[in-house]
Amino acid sequence: MGLDANLAAAWLTHELEPHTRIALAELGRLVSLRPTEVLMREGDPSDALAIVLEGRIGLRLRVPERGQVTILTVEPGDVVGWSAIVPPYRATSTAVALTDSELAVFEGEKLREALAADDKLAAQLYPVLLQAVARRLEGTRLQLLDLFSQRWVEPW
Amino acid sequence: MSPMSRRQAPRRPRVGVVKFASCDGCQLTMLDLEDELLAITERFDIVEFAEATSNRSEGPYDVLLVEGSISTPEQAEEITRLRREATMLVTIGACATSGGIQALRNLADHDAFRNAVYPRPEWIESLPTSTPVSDHVAVDAELYGCPISGRQLLELLTALTVGRRPQLPDEAVCAECKRLGNPCILVAEGVACLGPVTRTGCGALCPSFGRGCYGCFGPKESANTPALAAWFASLGYDDGEIARLYAKFNVGAPAFHQIVEAKR
Amino acid sequence: MVRVSAIEPETWFLPRRRLDELVQALRQGGRDVIGPTVRDGAIMLEPIETASALPSGWGVDNSPGVARLVRRDDERVFDQPPGPTSWKRWTFPPRVTQMAWNGAGESDGDRQPQSATAAPAPMAFLGARACEIAALAIQDRILAGGPVVDPDYVARRRDNLIVAVECAVAGGTCFCTSMGTGPELGGGHDLGLSELDDGFVVRVGSDAGRRIVDGLGLMAATDDQQQTAEDSVAGVRAAMGEPLPMEGVPERLVAAAESPRWAEIAERCLHCTNCTLVCPTCFCTSVSQRSDLDGGSATTERSWESCFTLDFARVAGGNFRTRPEDRYRQWLTHKFGTWWTQFGSSGCVGCGRCIAWCPVGIDVRVETQAVAATAPAPSIARPIVVPASFPAPAPPVTVVGKPARELAWAQALVVDSRRETPDVVTLTLNTDDALLLAGRPGQFVMAALPAVAAPPISVSRFHPDGLQLTIRAAGAATAQICALERGATISLRGPLGRGWPVELAEGRDVMIITGGIGLAPLRPLIDELLARRDRIARIHLAYGARTPADRLYKDELDRLAASGVIDVAQTVDRAGPEWLGRVGVVTQVIDRVLCSCDRTIAFVCGPERMMQATVDVLHERGIPNERIYVTLERHMDCGVGLCGHCQLGPYFVCKDGPVFSLAELGPMFEIEGI
Repeated sequence: MGLDANLAAAWLTHELEPHTRIALAELGRLVSLRPTEVLMREGDPSDALAIVLEGRIGLRLRVPERGQVTILTVEPGDVVGWSAIVPPYRATSTAVALTDSELAVFEGEKLREALAADDKLAAQLYPVLLQAVARRLEGTRLQLLDLFSQRWVEPW
Repeated sequence: MSPMSRRQAPRRPRVGVVKFASCDGCQLTMLDLEDELLAITERFDIVEFAEATSNRSEGPYDVLLVEGSISTPEQAEEITRLRREATMLVTIGACATSGGIQALRNLADHDAFRNAVYPRPEWIESLPTSTPVSDHVAVDAELYGCPISGRQLLELLTALTVGRRPQLPDEAVCAECKRLGNPCILVAEGVACLGPVTRTGCGALCPSFGRGCYGCFGPKESANTPALAAWFASLGYDDGEIARLYAKFNVGAPAFHQIVEAKR
Repeated sequence: MVRVSAIEPETWFLPRRRLDELVQALRQGGRDVIGPTVRDGAIMLEPIETASALPSGWGVDNSPGVARLVRRDDERVFDQPPGPTSWKRWTFPPRVTQMAWNGAGESDGDRQPQSATAAPAPMAFLGARACEIAALAIQDRILAGGPVVDPDYVARRRDNLIVAVECAVAGGTCFCTSMGTGPELGGGHDLGLSELDDGFVVRVGSDAGRRIVDGLGLMAATDDQQQTAEDSVAGVRAAMGEPLPMEGVPERLVAAAESPRWAEIAERCLHCTNCTLVCPTCFCTSVSQRSDLDGGSATTERSWESCFTLDFARVAGGNFRTRPEDRYRQWLTHKFGTWWTQFGSSGCVGCGRCIAWCPVGIDVRVETQAVAATAPAPSIARPIVVPASFPAPAPPVTVVGKPARELAWAQALVVDSRRETPDVVTLTLNTDDALLLAGRPGQFVMAALPAVAAPPISVSRFHPDGLQLTIRAAGAATAQICALERGATISLRGPLGRGWPVELAEGRDVMIITGGIGLAPLRPLIDELLARRDRIARIHLAYGARTPADRLYKDELDRLAASGVIDVAQTVDRAGPEWLGRVGVVTQVIDRVLCSCDRTIAFVCGPERMMQATVDVLHERGIPNERIYVTLERHMDCGVGLCGHCQLGPYFVCKDGPVFSLAELGPMFEIEGI
């Protein structure tokens, strides 16, 4: 029940129809993370999709000469671990709590089965997740342009 | 980069002047700066300049002025070595920046020339093409012209000592003709002039004496040589004449080369 | 029709054999007489000493790209269209020394810039045509008629004697009839001549002209002579026809920013700058540095520049207008369109020089109509205001010449230098210049050191006894400014530009979205908002940087965030594991924030691509263009609307901006190369 209220407030899921949201809430559980606790590791099988309710989750990639580089932080309302429902179900980055965080976590296999079985759930959830991933892609493209760097390196 | 002025750098910058396939005219331009030569030698430590001093140095150089195109296998190796020795490499002149007039051989059969001219052609090691230095190594700055302009060389050296961006405008010769008050010989007399597609720097020298620009400073940025060639054709110049206009000191530059290829 | 002046209702007649007496009368008092003369195959405007230098019996056959001298069998001297030179060669020379540095080349000495004062001999212009007088009036308005004047132009223009000539032949590329500038003389001359076969009908346009006529002791013109003069100019009008109907053209040119015709023109255009340099009204200039090897004897030089050069719109981080089609569009749209908004007249006087002297014969009469024909319905923010009386000539401007404050340099002393990031420094400067101290948030200064270019730099804080400049070492000049140590002096000109509308924030929620060095011009705005905090509702600051180390004012930001007085959200593009703050684009800091968007005003500063993405998000939140303000960067050589480089459509970014509302910018904010 508590999870349903959280999903109603999160921007990712607050426009889902109530019974879809309730169905979703029943698939998940509330998880608390302390700073430096890892939700998933880059390259590991992705077994959970989560919605951040409070706090901040950092997404990191490993660059051998540079160590761990944080390329995005996921703020309240946003999704982490969408790879759990997209083949090959492998985590594309390491997700680590940067502050005390609360998440609604959905076990990957259970969620995949539910989506395959419940057309209405699928019809409402996929667009919402697609939007979140599209927003992330848009942000990544702007990050890629490296707009704040000095664009020309001239000898003068 | 920080200025190489006296108060900032305790030692004078080491300057080298070297040549590849060229006539020496660009190096001579520095020696022609008679009024400023003494000041230049005081501000810069000229460690290698075969034409002017018996001081020799294989490097390292703070500034290396490179004249001449890369025309032999030996030169191709040497420029790579020199690039490592130079903090700043500046190419000077049409040969170094576009391959020079000797790049005419790029359009022809180089072996045939070699065989026709030399009794023992197998002793002549040369490359089939004459190419600019920038085709071989990264270049930090370029001075164009055949020969370069002494004023522009001085501006480059001053920019280094003072710490400003060298003011070497990339605009058509026409801009200089108009500032000087030259009537345009192309418009007024139908004389073919490459000024509109050629980079200024010479002070519009040839048009100031009623001669069409030869293009010796090379094509300006985004030079629209096809449009000018079309205009020459409408004035009655035939393809051969138009090709010969561009087949001169900067024939290796793509904007000029494309016209020669199309029209010959 | 021969319009007689208001001063004297009579006309006189000067016989041809006495023309030299007129020339000598003009030379009285050490005056240089500039007039047409044949040189190197063309009619040029040069100093002349006798009437024999005039092009007697010479005509010119003008067509696009062709201007051939033609020998006639008569002695008429003024029967030619304008040649490649215009009078601006003498009032606005191709190269002038603008400023000299005292104490340049010495270490930290008292380096002070000093304006060079032009003291030219007075000039008489003999043979100025109606279109050329209109051109002089246009340049008068720009260079001498505004709040900031060009002192060199004023000195050269102040004491000109104009002896005008009413055209008796229509040149092959002339179209003054379409532009309302001729062929009839309308005013602005001291003497007006109409050439007949045996002499000149003379009319007086000023007291100075009257004195010359009196001195020459001329006979009155007969009715026949007057009639011949009238018929002559009427014949020119008839021969010229109506080459360029201008109805609705200014608006359509501006609306046709995305016309395919521009690219088609670019296939022919050589961007050689000839059209702009022969044009009598083009006024763009560049400032360059002259010095010896030590940076001593440093001066700055102002020279003719053209919007067709590649570097015209170049800034330290890029170039706002590179494509040849965009450069041509800028020129044509400015000349025939946005000039109206800027100066209240057309920029073109129909002299036809640009058509004849274009090396490939591009014809603006053809191109203007071709582009206008492809225009969609106008959708620009500010409509072009063309007076109903057009094409009738605009009224002349009196050249005043008051000293311009914005052209004067003030000295400032570096009292502190703080490195914000590896390539950004904040200098704290003390000055006692009252105008600098009274600057407003969002304004900028031009900052000069000897022998290097003077860049525009936003003021990043105002103090009671000075100001702060935050500078990125993006090129040679800014690197030198960043390297200044305590005790060094720098010369500043300003404050310049239109700043942030702080008063509009009162009673509203404020969103400030910025990135990188964009925080610098917003910092004085934040200072002011904090000073009147109780009159403003919520304030959100979203600040993005490349990495945590690249943030400006790190300590200040952290303190501001901790204080809770405004809501501060910082984000970076990427970070190492020690950063526990946000990572992600700054636009996504605000896209999910709840706001009462009907009472929110937004201030945005950063690279233009970042500002565009931010504006998209603000629109999605329902914030209208009237309440979104941005600040723009452009190439500036003067900072006061005279050098022409910073133009964006009808605006000079330096004086109409750099702060603009999106409502003012309209679609221009998104058009490439405008």
